[in-house]
Amino acid sequence: MDELEAIKVTFFQECEELLADLEGGLLAMQEGAGDSETVNAVFRAVHSIKGGAGAFGLEPLVRFAHVFETLLDAVRAGSVPNTVELAAVLLRASDILADHVSAARGLGDVDMAASAAMAAELETWTDPNAAPAPAAAAPIIENAAPAPTTIASDAAADEAMDDDDLGFVFVPQTISVEAQAADADLIPANVWTVSIRPKSDLYRKANETALLLRELNRLGPIKATLDDRALPALEDLDPEAAFVTWSVRLETEEDETAIREVFEFVDGDCDLEITRGEAAVEDALASLLTAAEAIPETAVEPAAPAVIEIHAPEPALAPVAEVAPVAPAHAPVVEAAKPAAPAAPTPKATQVEVPGPGQSVIRVDPERIDRLIDLVGELVINQAMLAQRVGEYGIAPSSNLAMGLDELEQLTREIQDSVMAIRAQPVKSVFQRMPRLVREVANMTGKQARLVMDGENTEVDKTVIERLSDPITHMLRNAIDHGLESPEERKAAGKNPEGVVRLAALHRSGRIVIEVSDDGKGINRERVLSIAVKKGLISPDLTLTDEEIDNLIFLPGFSTADKISDVSGRGVGMDVVKRSVQALGGRISITSRPGHGSTFTLSLPLTLAVLDGMVVDVAGETLVVPLAAIVESLRPKPEEVRPLGPVGSVLAVRDSFVPLIDVGLTLGYRDHSPNPTDGVVLLVEGEDGSRAALVADAIHGQRQVVIKSLEQNYQQVEGVAAATILGDGRVALILDVDATIAMRRREGGAPRPTEPTLIAAE
Amino acid sequence: MAAAIALPETLDLKAAAPLKAAFLERRGAAITVEADQVRRLGGLCLQVLLAARKAWDQDGQAFSIKGPSEAFVETTRLFGAEGALLSAEFQGAES
Repeated sequence: MDELEAIKVTFFQECEELLADLEGGLLAMQEGAGDSETVNAVFRAVHSIKGGAGAFGLEPLVRFAHVFETLLDAVRAGSVPNTVELAAVLLRASDILADHVSAARGLGDVDMAASAAMAAELETWTDPNAAPAPAAAAPIIENAAPAPTTIASDAAADEAMDDDDLGFVFVPQTISVEAQAADADLIPANVWTVSIRPKSDLYRKANETALLLRELNRLGPIKATLDDRALPALEDLDPEAAFVTWSVRLETEEDETAIREVFEFVDGDCDLEITRGEAAVEDALASLLTAAEAIPETAVEPAAPAVIEIHAPEPALAPVAEVAPVAPAHAPVVEAAKPAAPAAPTPKATQVEVPGPGQSVIRVDPERIDRLIDLVGELVINQAMLAQRVGEYGIAPSSNLAMGLDELEQLTREIQDSVMAIRAQPVKSVFQRMPRLVREVANMTGKQARLVMDGENTEVDKTVIERLSDPITHMLRNAIDHGLESPEERKAAGKNPEGVVRLAALHRSGRIVIEVSDDGKGINRERVLSIAVKKGLISPDLTLTDEEIDNLIFLPGFSTADKISDVSGRGVGMDVVKRSVQALGGRISITSRPGHGSTFTLSLPLTLAVLDGMVVDVAGETLVVPLAAIVESLRPKPEEVRPLGPVGSVLAVRDSFVPLIDVGLTLGYRDHSPNPTDGVVLLVEGEDGSRAALVADAIHGQRQVVIKSLEQNYQQVEGVAAATILGDGRVALILDVDATIAMRRREGGAPRPTEPTLIAAE
Repeated sequence: MAAAIALPETLDLKAAAPLKAAFLERRGAAITVEADQVRRLGGLCLQVLLAARKAWDQDGQAFSIKGPSEAFVETTRLFGAEGALLSAEFQGAES
């Protein structure tokens, strides 16, 4: 059953996309764009989720999606007005639907009470009394276009639904149903008898009678009577074939359409008879039995496939005219005497998401891409090795060999860019989960918050994206819980009661920068300092700069919240964020202006694979300095170097002074600085825009290097970002420019906190 | 001595054939079916249980379901099979 698992994985991937579409559509509705296309899209999203979930027997999910869908259907039909308030309710419902999906996936739990409450709320919106059944003919059409269940039944659902929308009527299964539908209006009783005769295919397709019964039970109290007369003796029993049938007495206010909907996903795999009123169970069973004898399971041969072309009058509903083969349907048992009715289209075996016209998407196992990236990395190293050898042999740069090698280098670079582009994804996939988070946290904390997002299309390596979610979540929570003031406080301070939280992604010097800022009260430095002292995190006689105080919140065990809330403030907040960011080779810092808010800045390496670097020599060691950080390189003149303090010195570059940092000293390669004028100086710029001059002994040249993580293979080393393998096979360390600057800052100047490494924002 | 079968958590399509085999192996002696772990009971395994129940009745051997889990009881009732499978104490009100 591994295949099923694989399909399930695909289903969940699709769910994620559908949930995103759903949220996008609902947000548009909330902003007043309630056109039918949006509503249809929203409906389809929920419908597809329900369809797939049904196929996998994800019962709570199906149940909730059903209620949700019913309301959306009413909105679509116009019987429930599409208002902004409704959109807000639907948004919250979509959150719960997302929870159900996660729970079905085994990630997290659903708050069943909240789910039930929401289901009830949705039902009141739908209000069956006020909302009449979509159309008088609906039950017949429903019946006429059944969607057979397959594993990819979301496709089936879509098509079946589109069929409804288009009024496309397949040859009706039966006339008696129509008569019943007519009768239904005349008979006031709300008792129905539903005969269910599952076929073996139903179970084979991972559907479940229990699920159907449960779903019926949701419509009203049921009493199922089981008929096992067709059940063979144990020794003759085919354990995977269906023999037992049921007759269910159902009391419900719903109409036949609702009952039929329960069976929407098993149509064709389950014979069904719905009659109004209290059927004589014995009679029904008898007729079932006769029918069962009349058409043995195996006697139903597939008919020659016909082809039906469905023309889509509205592009929004069905972007492509679909060609669907027709599968044979099993004749309903009760009409055994009649010829088997043709039935619904078989959905495409796999559904490919079509993001836009003319575009198609393939899903690829990420492992394959990782392998490709590894290989390209090796190619880069190999190419560098070749180039070095050729250089060693003293071949003229204008020779054919050298030129060919140059071309190879170009090609390698292009391949590498293309491969990286495969893995690059917009951060949107992470960002789009955040509006919900903000809504929830704002609700929980009683604050009003509006999320403004920027740079959602910034592309980042997929491996980074996956791990961005947690830190961003944490930072947003923190911004709302600790950053924003309550509406009253905001009014008192002359601000808009609604706080603004901004989430932005941007590229800056070869890194991706994520900023989370709020327009709240900013960090209360006095309080932060006093808490840090009280908790013994720093010694009380230290003088700290504002920036250093702000960064105290990253200390483990630090919490500023007056009371511990559900949202944040358990003292495991920002240090956890910091650690997870560091694990990605990134760093995080905070700036704050009292009364105006705080900004968290998180920066991560853009790609985790290849980097352009300057290869330099320091105290006999080869180091790589990321090219993106280097502004210029120069050989300092003696008069440009000025001593500062007991050990430090600065370099005059044009009109400003920048601190001179001897890399060899900082990394511990040597214990005394050589004269900077003997070496080469690299003028670098850190994340925060601060400049420094790094002193190296010599520059070897510019090279593309493949990053090999130190964290994964060894451990994090301060001042070193990663390692690489050079063309000659030697291992070189890649310098972490910002960390080097920070290390130097601590070693230089005034006395610093007792645990300096924890304070610096790396 | 009475044989026993411990039902797995999930009694779905995959579980039906092994379940049948397990019953056949123990045919001819009184049996206790331990249903305390069951979280999901599907139609196919229900069939096997029903067929087994009949077979044991035919053989005149005792067939009992011991300590059924809540899910087992609930689903059995849903299926309308409580009369055949559950002892009187679990046959109470319908779900």
